[in-house]
Amino acid sequence: MSTVTTTSIPKEAAAEKNAGMHKMIGWILHNVVWIWLVALVIGFGMFNEFFLTVLNMQNITVQATVLGMLGLAVALPLLVAEIDLSIPANLGFSSAIGALAYSDLGMPWFLAMLVGVGVATLVGFFNGLCITKLRMVSLIQTLSMMIILQGALLALTQGKTLTNLSDGYVWIGQATTLGGWPLMPLILVIALAVVGIMLRMTILGRSIYAVGGNPLASNSAGIRVNRIKIITYTIAGFLAGVAGFLLASWQMAITSNQGSSYLLYAIAAPIIGGVSVFGGRGNVVGILGGVLLLTVIQVGLAITNVPSFYVGMIGGFMIFIAVAIDAIRVRYFA
Amino acid sequence: MRVETTKHRTMGAAASTAPDAEFVLRVENVSKVYGLFYALRSVSLNIRRSSIHGLLGENGAGKSTLVGIISGQRAPSSGAIYLDGINVADADVRAMEQAGVFLVTQEPMIIDHMSAAENLMLGIWPAKGGFVRWSKLKADAARMLKDSGIDPDINAGRLNAVARRKLNILRAMFSGGKVIILDEPTAALTVPDRRQLFDFMRQLKNDGVTFIFISHYNDEILEICDAVSVLRDGSLAGGSEDIGSMTSAQLSELVLGRGLVLFQRERRSFEAEPVAVSLHNVVADDVDLDRLDIRKGEIVGFTGLPGAGAKELAKAIFGLNRSRSGSISFEGKAGQGLPNHPQAAFDNGIAYLSDDRRRDGVVGHLSIAENIALSSLQRRALFGFIQRGEEANLCDGYFSSMGIKAPNAAAVVNTLSGGNQQKVCLGRVLATEPRLLILDEPTRGIDVGVKQDVLRIIDALSKTGVSVIIVSTDTDELVRSVDRVCVFRNGAIYETLTGDDITTESLRRLAQV
Repeated sequence: MSTVTTTSIPKEAAAEKNAGMHKMIGWILHNVVWIWLVALVIGFGMFNEFFLTVLNMQNITVQATVLGMLGLAVALPLLVAEIDLSIPANLGFSSAIGALAYSDLGMPWFLAMLVGVGVATLVGFFNGLCITKLRMVSLIQTLSMMIILQGALLALTQGKTLTNLSDGYVWIGQATTLGGWPLMPLILVIALAVVGIMLRMTILGRSIYAVGGNPLASNSAGIRVNRIKIITYTIAGFLAGVAGFLLASWQMAITSNQGSSYLLYAIAAPIIGGVSVFGGRGNVVGILGGVLLLTVIQVGLAITNVPSFYVGMIGGFMIFIAVAIDAIRVRYFA
Repeated sequence: MRVETTKHRTMGAAASTAPDAEFVLRVENVSKVYGLFYALRSVSLNIRRSSIHGLLGENGAGKSTLVGIISGQRAPSSGAIYLDGINVADADVRAMEQAGVFLVTQEPMIIDHMSAAENLMLGIWPAKGGFVRWSKLKADAARMLKDSGIDPDINAGRLNAVARRKLNILRAMFSGGKVIILDEPTAALTVPDRRQLFDFMRQLKNDGVTFIFISHYNDEILEICDAVSVLRDGSLAGGSEDIGSMTSAQLSELVLGRGLVLFQRERRSFEAEPVAVSLHNVVADDVDLDRLDIRKGEIVGFTGLPGAGAKELAKAIFGLNRSRSGSISFEGKAGQGLPNHPQAAFDNGIAYLSDDRRRDGVVGHLSIAENIALSSLQRRALFGFIQRGEEANLCDGYFSSMGIKAPNAAAVVNTLSGGNQQKVCLGRVLATEPRLLILDEPTRGIDVGVKQDVLRIIDALSKTGVSVIIVSTDTDELVRSVDRVCVFRNGAIYETLTGDDITTESLRRLAQV
């Protein structure tokens, strides 16, 4: 049993101070991805001098490019409260189509690349149709699409690695600009800017956030919900196609399981960056943060002297910490 | 802390061995402070055992905070709450539920794919070694549900609104509830349903249960309650231990802090006005309409039982329900098919305000401005880009003309009270500059002051030449706001009332058969 509670007024000054403190912690947690990123860069830099060199920074930006394109692609369906698991598989499949159009059909490399990106876009469009018109559950529909595309890639390549790529095709992956900085990350910057502008400044972007937040209200407000969902899937497919081209161009090869290793990271990156799996929340700055964080963890663990058997586990823990901190933020400071 | 009550897990009131036999619950000088803002300021009230105690107040007056504190969801900043003479101010929800205090929220917590019996015992399933004892569960449920008219085996998703609310109340009782707080239990109920719920409450009251009943409707409070307390701006504005001594006007005055001037539209005949919208042979789900003309500037009320066609026709006109056939024509021009999607309706100058703003009215995590602009983005855009300046002007205009209470138009809609959310919805549909405005239960769940605001806004709008359809089961609202009422039965207009024929009595008689 308790006695009568009689706490009252003198607490107010303290309460105000607490409120300020609360606000600051909220700000820190809100930007946790970026703070965690800086901390890890410094940390890895202390473990290994090579980490902070220009060469390694260039490496990180290149590594981040493909993951960034995939992260953007995954984020769009997430924003409308759906998901697309087939994006990394789409990357591999579509790039193989592009490569084979050049090597087996004799198309000019540029046209062949466009065919590859076009196929990826169509796959995205088809996913969108299945999820809206047939009302298939996106998790399962895109899971099955992922398996189909992975299988199709294996069938196309007959288990071999495709290396017959034209010089023009691989140029973008190798080209450098002033000071030896690679050109490829510029594509990611452009994609981030375009998607960012689309989300913030266009009707399409506003509609995407609205549909993700409340599809029924969006429908009543005159938004064609199905159309918006199909568009996001189609753009996601297009981005996967471009990512496929970039990855093949950079590696100068397409393996029979090209892209599969990206699946979990491509989904984790936008979510770490604040894109809600329930739809309607997230922006490109956050996605970029998530992508850079994951890339720094991967590259950092690769070049520090962590025994390779522990790399996966430690990387997993680092992601876990980022997500846990974000969950605490949402729980107490949203 | 844990309240020492373990014996009350049976239906009905505890034996009055407690020190305070007269009052089951006493709230003494309870305050709740958020930062520098007083959500509650030294509120005291006494709830008599086996009574129904009304709690009235505007949106944001502190009702939710108070019942949140009583039910243990949040702790008071200061003050005491005595349940059967024991101070329970520090108890949490679990402890309060064990002590017998339950909050039944507006949205019934029902799991649709489980049976009524399972829902009744949600979380307290009788078990042995981790296995649910189905036979006991079924037997207990059958006993509890006997008088309620609910089949224990029915899938809860198939229960209607009143049955769902009853089920929630019964669940609270089955868990040993002796003080049950009902937060607007009559929202979305029809008149007969409401009557049924009230009978049910009276029956339980006679069995010894105490209710705290939150409502926006004076007539409900006067009908069902024994006593009433009114909150205003976080303080107790007044109340009465004897409801018989109160009138509706007195209650409104306590709620608002001033005399309430009830809005009344000046009805007139629109025979001479040009026809704005004309509907022919509309067939859709639950709708089979021959013909309806609505004139420029006219406000037409649609009413009837659920499924009778009033709401369904409104949705068909807006394209939310697909119509199988029928045509609509504007200002005497050639007819066209009814819209197949809300977007087509907006393009034709038809706007619709949903009856359930949380479900399909607002996008909660977007700002007020973004919500207001949502339906008119298309027409204010350039090559797909939102014209920010124009958008800001538009939103500021509606933000102030609607009288939305919020720091600014960038505030997130989820943080607003129900009445203000409704104004945001209204702003959104008005921003499309419609010629036909369809309002589905436009004042449901909003307090009496905001209700008058909304009715005034609609009235002023009609004077600019906009035609309005108000779908409502609130007869009093119809009497005050429309020029003509169409009473629906079996999907068609059964009778039309105009002028002085529109009275509460005539509407009740015609609509509630």
